[in-house]
Amino acid sequence: MVTESLRTLPSSDELLDQAGRLRADADLMAGYARRLLATASALTGCPAAPEWSRPTLEQQAAACGTAAEQLRTAAEALLAHRRA
Amino acid sequence: MGADGHIRGRTAQDEQDAKELLRRCARDVVDVAEAIREVSARTSTALFAPTLTTSARRRPRTGLVAQWALLRALTNKEGLGGSAITAAKGMGRVLGAAGEVLGRESLAALVAVTSLRLRIAAVLFDHPEFERDPGMRRLLDAVTADRDLEAVRALRALFRDQGAQRALSGLAPLMAELLAIRALLDEDPKNDETGWALAAGRELSADPLHGISASHLAGMDQGEGAAEAVDLTDQERQTIATEGSLLGFLRNIEVLSTDGRILVQNVRGPDGVVRYVVQAPGMAPGRPRNDSPQDFVGAWRNLFMTDSPYTRSILLALADYGIPRGAELALIGHSEGGIAVMNLAQNEDFCRAYRVTHVIVVGSPVDNKKPADPRTWVASITNQHDIVPVLDGRGAGSAFNPHPNWYEVDYTGPTHEFPLCHMIREYIEHLRTVIPEAREDVDKALTAYRGPVVRTRAYQLKDRAHPPEGYPFLTVPTTSLATTTGPVDVPVRYYDSSAAHLCFAVDAAAARSLLPDVTWLVPSRLGRRALAVLSLYEHRCSTIGPYAEIALSVLVDDLWRPRPFDVATDLLRRVDLRRTGRYVLSLAVSSEESRVVAQEVWGQPAVRTAAEVDLMNRAVGVTAPELGLTVEGRLGPGLRCPEADWVLYGRRGDSTVRTLVRAHGRLRLHTGTGVRLQLDTAAAEPMAGQLRRLGIDTARPLFVLSCPQFMLHRSAGAVLPR
Repeated sequence: MVTESLRTLPSSDELLDQAGRLRADADLMAGYARRLLATASALTGCPAAPEWSRPTLEQQAAACGTAAEQLRTAAEALLAHRRA
Repeated sequence: MGADGHIRGRTAQDEQDAKELLRRCARDVVDVAEAIREVSARTSTALFAPTLTTSARRRPRTGLVAQWALLRALTNKEGLGGSAITAAKGMGRVLGAAGEVLGRESLAALVAVTSLRLRIAAVLFDHPEFERDPGMRRLLDAVTADRDLEAVRALRALFRDQGAQRALSGLAPLMAELLAIRALLDEDPKNDETGWALAAGRELSADPLHGISASHLAGMDQGEGAAEAVDLTDQERQTIATEGSLLGFLRNIEVLSTDGRILVQNVRGPDGVVRYVVQAPGMAPGRPRNDSPQDFVGAWRNLFMTDSPYTRSILLALADYGIPRGAELALIGHSEGGIAVMNLAQNEDFCRAYRVTHVIVVGSPVDNKKPADPRTWVASITNQHDIVPVLDGRGAGSAFNPHPNWYEVDYTGPTHEFPLCHMIREYIEHLRTVIPEAREDVDKALTAYRGPVVRTRAYQLKDRAHPPEGYPFLTVPTTSLATTTGPVDVPVRYYDSSAAHLCFAVDAAAARSLLPDVTWLVPSRLGRRALAVLSLYEHRCSTIGPYAEIALSVLVDDLWRPRPFDVATDLLRRVDLRRTGRYVLSLAVSSEESRVVAQEVWGQPAVRTAAEVDLMNRAVGVTAPELGLTVEGRLGPGLRCPEADWVLYGRRGDSTVRTLVRAHGRLRLHTGTGVRLQLDTAAAEPMAGQLRRLGIDTARPLFVLSCPQFMLHRSAGAVLPR
């Protein structure tokens, strides 16, 4: 029992850190989505920009947004696991 | 498209702005891609962290939920993507690889591909011909859509339609991008690092085609390097530039060709100061590995490593040339030579010893390099259709400029065919006619070197220092003997020869009758017979030149104390202790110098005759029309025998001349059944009469000794008082 309590403490902190990192990464991913959208709009009106560029960048920005959501969900799940 | 090459309605400035915007966007997008990749890596670490794995085992209800949430974030193709799991080993690695194999690329890779496609779009803006070409369009579509089979078919069609050279050079401006996309999207995770390096403009550490480690390939390129001062030919001396200028130095490189030589020159500048210019040519064509450091493997090592036999050899050449410490140096190189001189420029010790003021490279992939001395002025000139400068991963569409301070010219030359567009001659012509302003700029930068050339020295570079030819067998002390055709070094050395000795059992009395009329010169007897030898030689390389030799000789006993079985006992003795030998009855050689040497140095009765001798393989073919002699046939497998040294006897006046012949090669003993001698002359001289008297013209050899390739040396003849 004593051994159990000693091992739980550091792992709880690590889980907390990981959850924090996942949240930060989720914010970063949301930021990347905005950067990709900004790039897509910068290319609007550029004569050299290929037609596919804008929809592709928007699609990838959307994927960044989805990834951000899922990273937040994972962070919440980690915190719930830590609390359990 | 207008006559000026610009799209109608747009100015050149508009087009430049549009291309710059595309490249800037490509840079932004690849930055995002790298950041997403880092997020994926951190999420993978969280998923496979031992803390989570252990605690999930204890509290599976919440632990498994957390693990599932992480796995979903990493594998959802609407999110980070199928192969976003990155782990160096274990289950993470298996899952990541499985994602790639199943064709589910990670979001990071897809965003990087978008960046590369934007770079391709910037190139296509300069090269609209690619989009007009259906084959090229098909290839671009297939590669960017990760349709491997279709990409292979398109590439095959491109090669079939245009020929490999045109197709390769057509692809050159896009090569880095296409390779990067291929590496990022293919199923082989080993190529990922290469793809990311190419996309993000980082230094490559592996083959852009197959992810083969550069260090693995470079391992083949071993050698301490060697440099030997060599003379230029008269023709080369006449064409070497006498004044310092960019085109002059490049023309010197063209004169040197790619046979492993470099040139070092002293130039007196307008200020009276003597400076030094090193000029290094590119890769030699041919086998990937040869004796020269200018080979493919060397080029590869140069490209990725800072040190190579080429670089080391140049250092040795400069040490031999005697450049004082602190002297100013300009390094000029083409292709691999450019990489090698750039390696020198980034060597800190070298830059401490000398002041490298200029590095000028033409058609070289040097973007991975950086001079150690920040004051070094670097110019890089590349044709966009030349594939070689793209090997460092930076093509025409690159969104990165790792060296904003360099003077770089990446132009579209009229020559698109590779390797033509890579040749130094083309670059010289383009600097003269297509980009004269670049030539003027570089010449202006080289002002301090624009003066008369006061010294020129060429060096032959090698992977490693080699022993002298024929070492150790042919490294013997020599002396010079005067002959009527000039001095001759003895022993005469033969570096590459073939021989067949046809040995006949002949009538002893007939043999005796052909020997000089002295009582002490008698044929050695094998029972009641004597042994005559018809020796056929092809000397391909010797110190008296190449020539063919046909010699008829008879085995003779000790000149002073002949004993029975002398021949047998002599075979067990060293050649210099032997008393028996072969008396040369007649000799025919195909060059005047060898005739004179045989006659005057060895005392052998030599005549000059035309002869064709081929003894390099088992088929024996000798034709000497003036002798009326033909020897043809095929030797059987034969038995290996010990190397046979000989003693030859000749006559000069009233004396006998004894010559030692030492041979080194693989001698074989054959039966004489496969060889046939034919004599088509009624004349007696030279040789035919003797052959008839010995009965050789109709006989088969008893046995044949052959050696398709060997070395030998023949001493000066020692005059015996008999």
